[in-house]
Amino acid sequence: MSGVPLFWYLMLSFGLFGLGLVGVMRRRNPLLMLLAVELMLNSANIALVGFARQWNNTDGQIFALVVMAVAAAEVVIGLGLVVAVFRQRLALNVDEMSSLKG
Amino acid sequence: MAEQIIFVIAAAAALMSGALVVTLENAFRATVALIVTLVSVAVIFLLLAAPFVAAIQIIVYAGAIVVLFLFVIAYMGDRPAPGLEDRLAPYQAFTWIFVIALIGQAGIMLANSNLVGLYDEPAATDDIGSPEAIGRAFIDDYIVPFEATSAILLVAAIAAVLLAKRGVNFEGGR
Repeated sequence: MSGVPLFWYLMLSFGLFGLGLVGVMRRRNPLLMLLAVELMLNSANIALVGFARQWNNTDGQIFALVVMAVAAAEVVIGLGLVVAVFRQRLALNVDEMSSLKG
Repeated sequence: MAEQIIFVIAAAAALMSGALVVTLENAFRATVALIVTLVSVAVIFLLLAAPFVAAIQIIVYAGAIVVLFLFVIAYMGDRPAPGLEDRLAPYQAFTWIFVIALIGQAGIMLANSNLVGLYDEPAATDDIGSPEAIGRAFIDDYIVPFEATSAILLVAAIAAVLLAKRGVNFEGGR
Protein backbone atom coordinates (compact mmCIF):
# COMPACT_ATOMS: atom_id res chain seq x y z
CA MET A 1 0.00 0.00 0.00
CA SER A 2 1.87 3.07 -1.14
CA GLY A 3 -0.75 5.31 -2.71
CA VAL A 4 -3.57 7.27 -1.12
CA PRO A 5 -7.08 5.97 -1.96
CA LEU A 6 -9.64 8.30 -3.50
CA PHE A 7 -11.64 8.32 -0.25
CA TRP A 8 -9.12 10.50 1.54
CA TYR A 9 -8.89 13.00 -1.29
CA LEU A 10 -12.68 13.32 -1.22
CA MET A 11 -12.65 13.77 2.55
CA LEU A 12 -10.06 16.54 2.17
CA SER A 13 -12.31 18.09 -0.47
CA PHE A 14 -15.31 17.93 1.90
CA GLY A 15 -13.28 19.48 4.70
CA LEU A 16 -12.10 22.42 2.60
CA PHE A 17 -15.63 22.94 1.29
CA GLY A 18 -16.95 23.03 4.86
CA LEU A 19 -14.36 25.62 5.86
CA GLY A 20 -15.36 27.77 2.89
CA LEU A 21 -19.01 27.41 3.85
CA VAL A 22 -18.23 28.53 7.40
CA GLY A 23 -16.41 31.54 5.97
CA VAL A 24 -19.30 32.55 3.73
CA MET A 25 -21.75 32.27 6.60
CA ARG A 26 -19.63 34.01 9.26
CA ARG A 27 -18.10 36.86 7.33
CA ARG A 28 -19.92 40.10 6.69
CA ASN A 29 -17.17 41.73 4.62
CA PRO A 30 -17.67 40.89 0.91
CA LEU A 31 -13.91 40.75 0.36
CA LEU A 32 -13.49 38.02 2.96
CA MET A 33 -16.54 36.19 1.64
CA LEU A 34 -14.83 36.04 -1.76
CA LEU A 35 -11.79 34.46 -0.09
CA ALA A 36 -14.03 31.77 1.38
CA VAL A 37 -15.64 31.17 -2.03
CA GLU A 38 -12.15 30.57 -3.42
CA LEU A 39 -11.69 27.85 -0.79
CA MET A 40 -14.90 26.16 -1.91
CA LEU A 41 -13.90 26.30 -5.59
CA ASN A 42 -10.53 24.75 -4.72
CA SER A 43 -12.19 21.90 -2.85
CA ALA A 44 -14.33 21.18 -5.92
CA ASN A 45 -11.18 21.14 -8.04
CA ILE A 46 -9.58 18.55 -5.71
CA ALA A 47 -12.60 16.29 -6.17
CA LEU A 48 -12.56 16.74 -9.97
CA VAL A 49 -8.86 15.99 -10.31
CA GLY A 50 -9.15 13.06 -7.89
CA PHE A 51 -11.87 11.46 -9.98
CA ALA A 52 -9.82 12.15 -13.11
CA ARG A 53 -7.01 10.04 -11.70
CA GLN A 54 -9.36 7.37 -10.42
CA TRP A 55 -10.78 6.72 -13.87
CA ASN A 56 -7.61 7.49 -15.80
CA ASN A 57 -9.28 10.24 -17.77
CA THR A 58 -8.25 13.80 -18.61
CA ASP A 59 -11.77 15.26 -18.52
CA GLY A 60 -11.79 16.05 -14.80
CA GLN A 61 -8.64 18.11 -15.18
CA ILE A 62 -10.23 20.02 -18.07
CA PHE A 63 -13.19 20.83 -15.81
CA ALA A 64 -10.81 21.97 -13.08
CA LEU A 65 -9.08 24.35 -15.52
CA VAL A 66 -12.43 25.80 -16.64
CA VAL A 67 -13.41 26.26 -12.98
CA MET A 68 -10.18 28.20 -12.45
CA ALA A 69 -10.96 30.51 -15.38
CA VAL A 70 -14.47 31.11 -14.06
CA ALA A 71 -13.04 31.77 -10.59
CA ALA A 72 -10.70 34.39 -12.04
CA ALA A 73 -13.61 36.11 -13.79
CA GLU A 74 -15.69 35.97 -10.61
CA VAL A 75 -12.92 37.50 -8.53
CA VAL A 76 -12.42 40.33 -11.04
CA ILE A 77 -16.10 41.28 -10.97
CA GLY A 78 -16.43 40.77 -7.21
CA LEU A 79 -13.44 42.95 -6.42
CA GLY A 80 -14.67 45.55 -8.94
CA LEU A 81 -17.94 45.70 -7.03
CA VAL A 82 -16.12 45.94 -3.70
CA VAL A 83 -14.00 48.85 -4.97
CA ALA A 84 -17.06 50.60 -6.43
CA VAL A 85 -18.90 50.28 -3.10
CA PHE A 86 -15.82 51.52 -1.25
CA ARG A 87 -15.72 54.63 -3.47
CA GLN A 88 -19.26 55.50 -2.34
CA ARG A 89 -18.02 55.63 1.26
CA LEU A 90 -20.53 52.94 2.12
CA ALA A 91 -19.88 50.36 4.80
CA LEU A 92 -18.44 47.12 3.45
CA ASN A 93 -21.10 44.97 5.01
CA VAL A 94 -23.31 42.63 3.02
CA ASP A 95 -26.18 43.16 5.45
CA GLU A 96 -26.17 46.86 4.67
CA MET A 97 -25.90 46.46 0.90
CA SER A 98 -29.39 45.14 0.42
CA SER A 99 -31.00 47.55 -2.04
CA LEU A 100 -31.12 46.73 -5.73
CA LYS A 101 -31.59 49.52 -8.23
CA GLY A 102 -31.46 49.23 -12.00
CA MET B 1 4.72 5.40 1.67
CA ALA B 2 6.24 8.68 0.53
CA GLU B 3 3.01 9.62 -1.20
CA GLN B 4 1.04 9.07 2.01
CA ILE B 5 3.42 11.22 4.05
CA ILE B 6 3.28 14.04 1.51
CA PHE B 7 -0.52 13.76 1.36
CA VAL B 8 -0.87 14.01 5.15
CA ILE B 9 1.42 17.04 5.33
CA ALA B 10 -0.25 18.85 2.43
CA ALA B 11 -3.78 18.05 3.61
CA ALA B 12 -3.03 19.19 7.16
CA ALA B 13 -1.48 22.42 5.84
CA ALA B 14 -4.48 23.04 3.57
CA LEU B 15 -7.04 22.46 6.32
CA MET B 16 -5.21 24.47 8.99
CA SER B 17 -4.51 27.44 6.73
CA GLY B 18 -8.09 27.19 5.43
CA ALA B 19 -9.32 27.50 9.01
CA LEU B 20 -7.13 30.58 9.37
CA VAL B 21 -8.62 32.05 6.17
CA VAL B 22 -12.11 31.96 7.62
CA THR B 23 -11.27 32.99 11.20
CA LEU B 24 -8.56 35.67 11.04
CA GLU B 25 -9.99 39.16 11.53
CA ASN B 26 -7.27 40.94 9.57
CA ALA B 27 -8.05 40.76 5.83
CA PHE B 28 -4.37 40.93 4.83
CA ARG B 29 -3.44 37.98 7.04
CA ALA B 30 -6.42 35.97 5.84
CA THR B 31 -5.26 36.47 2.24
CA VAL B 32 -1.72 35.36 3.08
CA ALA B 33 -3.19 32.25 4.74
CA LEU B 34 -5.09 31.62 1.50
CA ILE B 35 -1.73 31.49 -0.34
CA VAL B 36 -0.65 28.60 1.92
CA THR B 37 -3.91 26.79 1.19
CA LEU B 38 -3.53 27.26 -2.57
CA VAL B 39 0.06 25.99 -2.60
CA SER B 40 -0.95 22.96 -0.51
CA VAL B 41 -3.75 22.22 -2.97
CA ALA B 42 -1.18 22.48 -5.79
CA VAL B 43 0.87 19.79 -4.01
CA ILE B 44 -2.29 17.64 -3.84
CA PHE B 45 -2.72 18.11 -7.59
CA LEU B 46 0.85 16.91 -8.14
CA LEU B 47 0.05 13.77 -6.13
CA LEU B 48 -3.03 13.26 -8.32
CA ALA B 49 -0.99 13.06 -11.54
CA ALA B 50 -1.99 16.57 -12.65
CA PRO B 51 1.24 18.57 -13.02
CA PHE B 52 -0.25 21.03 -15.53
CA VAL B 53 -3.23 21.84 -13.28
CA ALA B 54 -0.80 22.30 -10.38
CA ALA B 55 1.27 24.77 -12.40
CA ILE B 56 -1.83 26.70 -13.44
CA GLN B 57 -2.98 26.68 -9.81
CA ILE B 58 0.24 28.40 -8.75
CA ILE B 59 0.31 30.82 -11.69
CA VAL B 60 -3.35 31.85 -11.80
CA TYR B 61 -4.39 31.54 -8.17
CA ALA B 62 -1.33 32.30 -6.10
CA GLY B 63 0.15 34.52 -8.80
CA ALA B 64 -2.77 36.54 -10.10
CA ILE B 65 -5.91 36.21 -7.99
CA VAL B 66 -4.23 36.56 -4.60
CA VAL B 67 -2.17 39.52 -5.83
CA LEU B 68 -5.42 41.15 -6.99
CA PHE B 69 -6.89 40.61 -3.51
CA LEU B 70 -3.80 42.08 -1.88
CA PHE B 71 -3.91 45.14 -4.16
CA VAL B 72 -7.56 45.79 -3.30
CA ILE B 73 -6.91 45.36 0.43
CA ALA B 74 -3.94 47.72 0.23
CA TYR B 75 -6.04 50.22 -1.76
CA MET B 76 -8.86 50.22 0.77
CA GLY B 77 -6.63 50.37 3.80
CA ASP B 78 -7.47 48.85 7.15
CA ARG B 79 -10.83 50.54 7.64
CA PRO B 80 -13.09 48.85 10.17
CA ALA B 81 -16.80 48.88 9.48
CA PRO B 82 -18.12 51.94 11.35
CA GLY B 83 -20.33 51.08 14.27
CA LEU B 84 -21.97 48.02 12.87
CA GLU B 85 -23.09 45.57 15.47
CA ASP B 86 -23.52 42.07 14.20
CA ARG B 87 -26.86 40.94 15.55
CA LEU B 88 -26.04 37.35 14.73
CA ALA B 89 -22.69 37.25 16.52
CA PRO B 90 -23.98 35.22 19.53
CA TYR B 91 -25.14 32.48 17.20
CA GLN B 92 -21.90 31.97 15.32
CA ALA B 93 -21.24 28.66 17.08
CA PHE B 94 -24.22 27.25 15.20
CA THR B 95 -22.35 27.86 11.93
CA TRP B 96 -19.64 25.42 13.00
CA ILE B 97 -22.14 22.89 14.34
CA PHE B 98 -24.16 22.99 11.13
CA VAL B 99 -21.16 22.67 8.84
CA ILE B 100 -19.55 19.87 10.88
CA ALA B 101 -22.86 18.00 10.79
CA LEU B 102 -23.07 18.54 7.03
CA ILE B 103 -19.53 17.28 6.43
CA GLY B 104 -20.14 14.32 8.73
CA GLN B 105 -23.23 13.40 6.75
CA ALA B 106 -21.30 13.66 3.49
CA GLY B 107 -18.51 11.47 4.86
CA ILE B 108 -20.91 8.80 6.13
CA MET B 109 -22.77 8.83 2.83
CA LEU B 110 -19.50 8.48 0.91
CA ALA B 111 -18.26 5.66 3.17
CA ASN B 112 -21.51 3.76 2.65
CA SER B 113 -21.68 4.31 -1.09
CA ASN B 114 -20.61 1.49 -3.36
CA LEU B 115 -18.30 3.67 -5.43
CA VAL B 116 -15.96 1.45 -7.45
CA GLY B 117 -12.43 1.43 -6.10
CA LEU B 118 -13.04 3.98 -3.38
CA TYR B 119 -10.60 2.37 -0.95
CA ASP B 120 -8.41 0.58 -3.48
CA GLU B 121 -4.81 1.24 -4.21
CA PRO B 122 -4.96 3.78 -7.07
CA ALA B 123 -4.11 2.20 -10.40
CA ALA B 124 -1.25 3.53 -12.46
CA THR B 125 -2.46 6.21 -14.86
CA ASP B 126 -1.57 6.92 -18.44
CA ASP B 127 -0.38 10.31 -19.54
CA ILE B 128 -3.45 12.29 -18.39
CA GLY B 129 -1.93 15.39 -16.82
CA SER B 130 0.72 16.59 -19.21
CA PRO B 131 0.26 19.83 -21.18
CA GLU B 132 0.10 17.74 -24.35
CA ALA B 133 -2.75 15.54 -23.08
CA ILE B 134 -4.69 18.53 -21.80
CA GLY B 135 -4.15 20.48 -25.02
CA ARG B 136 -5.37 17.53 -27.09
CA ALA B 137 -8.44 17.10 -24.89
CA PHE B 138 -9.26 20.81 -25.21
CA ILE B 139 -8.88 20.86 -28.99
CA ASP B 140 -10.50 17.50 -29.71
CA ASP B 141 -13.40 17.28 -27.26
CA TYR B 142 -13.82 20.56 -25.43
CA ILE B 143 -13.35 23.24 -28.08
CA VAL B 144 -16.75 24.86 -27.35
CA PRO B 145 -16.19 25.20 -23.57
CA PHE B 146 -12.72 26.52 -24.36
CA GLU B 147 -14.13 29.28 -26.57
CA ALA B 148 -16.90 29.97 -24.05
CA THR B 149 -14.22 30.46 -21.40
CA SER B 150 -12.53 33.10 -23.52
CA ALA B 151 -15.89 34.88 -23.92
CA ILE B 152 -16.41 34.78 -20.14
CA LEU B 153 -12.99 36.29 -19.53
CA LEU B 154 -13.68 39.05 -22.09
CA VAL B 155 -17.02 39.88 -20.44
CA ALA B 156 -15.36 39.95 -17.02
CA ALA B 157 -12.65 42.31 -18.28
CA ILE B 158 -15.25 44.68 -19.78
CA ALA B 159 -17.29 44.57 -16.56
CA ALA B 160 -14.22 45.35 -14.48
CA VAL B 161 -13.41 48.36 -16.66
CA LEU B 162 -17.00 49.65 -16.36
CA LEU B 163 -17.09 49.12 -12.59
CA ALA B 164 -13.74 50.78 -12.07
CA LYS B 165 -14.79 53.92 -13.96
CA ARG B 166 -15.30 56.92 -11.75
CA GLY B 167 -18.86 58.16 -11.58
CA VAL B 168 -20.62 54.87 -11.10
CA ASN B 169 -23.16 55.74 -8.45
CA PHE B 170 -25.10 53.06 -6.65
CA GLU B 171 -27.56 55.10 -4.67
CA GLY B 172 -28.57 57.88 -7.04
CA GLY B 173 -27.99 56.45 -10.51
CA ARG B 174 -25.47 57.94 -12.89
